[in-house]
Amino acid sequence: MIAAIDVGLLFELVWAAALAGVAVAACFSLVILGSSRAGELRREGRGGAAVAYGALAVFGAVAVAALVVFGISVIVTK
Amino acid sequence: MSSDIILVIVVATALAFDFTNGFHDTANAIATSVSTRAMTPRFAVAMSAVLNFAGAFISLAVAATIASGIVDSDAITTTVVFAGLIGAIAWNLATWWFGLPSSSSHALIGGVIGAAFVADGASAIDGEGVIEKVLVPGIMAPILAFGVAGIAIVIAYAVVGRLRPGPVNRGYRHGQLVSGAMFSLAHGTNDAQKTMGIITLALIAHGDLPADKFEVPTWVIVSSASAIAMGTYVGGWRIIRTVGSRIIKMDPAQGFSAQAAGAAVVLTASHLGFPLSTTHTISGAVMGAGAAKRLSAVRWGLAGNIAVAWVLTLPATALIGGVTYAMNSLFGSGALGPIVIVLCVVSLLAAIFGRRWSAARSTAGLPAGTEGPA
Repeated sequence: MIAAIDVGLLFELVWAAALAGVAVAACFSLVILGSSRAGELRREGRGGAAVAYGALAVFGAVAVAALVVFGISVIVTK
Repeated sequence: MSSDIILVIVVATALAFDFTNGFHDTANAIATSVSTRAMTPRFAVAMSAVLNFAGAFISLAVAATIASGIVDSDAITTTVVFAGLIGAIAWNLATWWFGLPSSSSHALIGGVIGAAFVADGASAIDGEGVIEKVLVPGIMAPILAFGVAGIAIVIAYAVVGRLRPGPVNRGYRHGQLVSGAMFSLAHGTNDAQKTMGIITLALIAHGDLPADKFEVPTWVIVSSASAIAMGTYVGGWRIIRTVGSRIIKMDPAQGFSAQAAGAAVVLTASHLGFPLSTTHTISGAVMGAGAAKRLSAVRWGLAGNIAVAWVLTLPATALIGGVTYAMNSLFGSGALGPIVIVLCVVSLLAAIFGRRWSAARSTAGLPAGTEGPA
């Protein structure tokens, strides 16, 4: 029974899946945080802080897009 | 002539299984999106159907792996496949009727195992293959997805917790469009191919295709893609309601976290060559996203029923597959057995579902023959 289970592969699956899942949720949450706060700060006339939050939103969006592209490549090439 | 009739019956049964696979598994991709109102029910099933159809054309790698490493390839005949399909269809319909999400792939594998066992004995079954490809992934998928979705929702709440709920909910609803689409595409590349593999194996066994080269004919790809897409579009609303709103009452952040974590787990596993059930994964992820907010938010009684259905999938489908094969053998090796069994199954389904469906509709004041969205 033990011979049938590749423990190394299971361990790799656990950490890689956890990393990918948490990264998607965290990056997308940064998009929401950045875009929401950037809008509020812009309306309050605090341009510098608004730009910083906007940059955070862009960073999050790029990271999510990269993860989505990787996901599609996994689907397409399997 | 007799073998031609058996082939036609096996192809039709395989497409019927593909259809049930589609409507049974619609919930995996869209339940959380419908529940959080990220998409309207009709838009969600239409998008999922189109992406399942498209996904079926992307890769054919899975088609060649049906039951490989689990059942001895010499034991797989058209009648074994037929009996296995009957077992899988029966289980898909039963679990759909009770609104329980369960793995269509495990149902198919279980059915084929039972039929092969009756046909050729225990030597036809590779026990280590069953452990490696069915039992371990079956345990692993929900636990891993539970943990990942739980961590994901805690981080999401920590990041957006102090923002106004309006923009936050809108943002996560937009995110669910992407995560739902990814799930549907991944499902199409996996599940439609199982039917393609089965029909191709039947064509090889019948002598219509060469045995030394596994090549899926275009008509098989198109018909399998169409059957799963139609099944998806019909939508198994009972299971969608279970996954989307009965396990937990979810907000958009939980819906997105469950779907994103589920997609990440399925795709990472696929990348490592360790395919997991999308049903087990999304169910575990939904429970994880609920439990991380508040343990009592999860309806553990329902979660227990779902777990029981998962445990029973393999033995129940194996039993039905085995009994079907044995019944088929009583009629000899001709086409009479499959014809009688198909007629029995169709009559049984009409009797069971027709009567209960009409009763349920009349109680709810709805016209018979419809199963509307949530």
